[in-house]
Amino acid sequence: MGGGVMRLGGVKSYIRSKKTKRVNRSLAGTVMLFIFLALVGAFMAMPLVLTINNAFKPLDELFLFPPRFFVRNPTRGNFTDLIILMQGSWVPFSRYVFNTIFITGMGTVGHLFLASAAAYPLAKNNFPGKNILFSIVVLSLMFSVVVTSIPNYMIITWLGLNNTYWAIILPAFSASLGLYLMKQFMEQIPDSLIESARLDGASEFTIYRSIVMPNVKPAWLTLVILMFQALWTTTGGVFLRDEQLKPLNFAMSQIVGGGIARAGAGAAVMLVMMSVPIGFFIFSQSRIIETMTTSGMKD
Amino acid sequence: MPKSKRRRLTLRNREVLAGFLFILPWLVGVTVFFLFNIVQAVIYSFNTVDFNLGGIGFTLTPQGFSNLRFALLEHGSFNRELVTSLTDMLVNVPLIIFFSLFIAVCLNRKFMGRGVVRAIFFLPVIMATSAIDGSLDAVMRMMMGGASSIPPEIAGQQAGFHPGAIAFMLVDFGVPVIFIGYILDALARLYEIIRATGVQILIFLAALQAIPTSMYEVAQIEGATAYETFWKITFPLVSPLILTNVIYTIVDTFAESSVVETAFNTAFIHQNFGLSAAMSLISSVIACLALLLVGWLISKKVFYQVGD
Repeated sequence: MGGGVMRLGGVKSYIRSKKTKRVNRSLAGTVMLFIFLALVGAFMAMPLVLTINNAFKPLDELFLFPPRFFVRNPTRGNFTDLIILMQGSWVPFSRYVFNTIFITGMGTVGHLFLASAAAYPLAKNNFPGKNILFSIVVLSLMFSVVVTSIPNYMIITWLGLNNTYWAIILPAFSASLGLYLMKQFMEQIPDSLIESARLDGASEFTIYRSIVMPNVKPAWLTLVILMFQALWTTTGGVFLRDEQLKPLNFAMSQIVGGGIARAGAGAAVMLVMMSVPIGFFIFSQSRIIETMTTSGMKD
Repeated sequence: MPKSKRRRLTLRNREVLAGFLFILPWLVGVTVFFLFNIVQAVIYSFNTVDFNLGGIGFTLTPQGFSNLRFALLEHGSFNRELVTSLTDMLVNVPLIIFFSLFIAVCLNRKFMGRGVVRAIFFLPVIMATSAIDGSLDAVMRMMMGGASSIPPEIAGQQAGFHPGAIAFMLVDFGVPVIFIGYILDALARLYEIIRATGVQILIFLAALQAIPTSMYEVAQIEGATAYETFWKITFPLVSPLILTNVIYTIVDTFAESSVVETAFNTAFIHQNFGLSAAMSLISSVIACLALLLVGWLISKKVFYQVGD
């Protein structure tokens, strides 16, 4: 297998290991590492902790000056405010939830299938024009959304997708980042694994479904997280104009945009909007187990 | 049988055909939604775009290279911003890559509450969304100065922490005022790096999970130290993904740079779409060149697992 392991063996490292192994695996090292991680982690977690605290702060504490980090008298008032606001919305609130779930679900699943299907031949098949296609992928990564927004609007209108969910979903299908990511991971799969499946008479689709995809499971779970995050936060932009089509993020932004009067509900909104991607992240990360990329190999 | 005969004849072609069939759906999408746009943008950059009165359609007046020349030589800040973005990128990309690889290696170990800790490191990506960002902004503004403070439109779209609010909190925690300046400076820099690493950590994690544990077992049996294990197993096996991450980071930092902001303002505030397209074209070309250079440099070092 990889040349890296081969060089590891031998007498030299064996002798040295007696001395250095202790140092590396020492308690002090572990503790130091833990402290560093804990510090960085605490730093990163600060917005989350602040969000949770704010969501339960009564108004007088939210406006307290100088501000306090932790809540003193937790209250549920912000959430009841939010629920009242939601009930008073012009379009039933469940509609916003449905819109977001539909857009996010369709977009993520579609993108996963299209990107991984396209990545498989790019990574493992040989055919003419492969390099040109891959250059297109990288090229489309480079162009910022800003500059292409006008032609994009024209295309969407021309296709009759303006003011439908598909204006958001279809471009998400063919986003290049996912394809790029999947291709890089698929290249790691040993060719012999695919060849042996081919010799056994598996069709390309079977190889894709039962050899390639299970082996890059960490990659596509990562992809799903990224796409979920991107679509979950869409506000519909210029394309979703009907109030019935607006996603949850838009409705929530409206509530937050209410300013000072909505401060409490705004704090609750933040907690609600954050907890879904975080929950999804933890869920999908827990699905990742060690893959078998090379465990089937005997060389 | 004709069927098996046909099969034998096109074994190689079958693979090619299958490849094209797999790519086709994506290719259609990317052509319609991206390639067309890019071609249009390039056309704009060589024209003046005037919107017709009445609001329907626009006319293009060919301008040759004048948009490009104006952006590079005459525009007040564009070329400076371009240089700043490039140098920022040069400094930030290695930092981001090393930091995210380090964190990913740490997070790949088995420990209690691993999922939650990973989620914490992914937080910056989650936080950078409009509703959350907006309300975090609102909260911070309230903390800073209550009702009289700046409206969100002026405060900008910067996500995450506001150093001022942290300063107040540190005082609340009892940190001496003298140190706060230093702490804030370091925090701001650190936060900038950390904020940009969420996705990279995730990509590295996925790469690390693809390394079979048997390799580490072998290394352990052979008596390799953790240091050797990292440099001889972990690093070579994630190195293809280092390239991926470098490219992602370059794309990401460019997408958030002031260059793109200037292009946006030129298009949608000053209504000069041709110039805006020219700016984007220039920055895209430069980013592509940077990518080519970095990709070429790294791919010489990357260890591809050949398998057999």
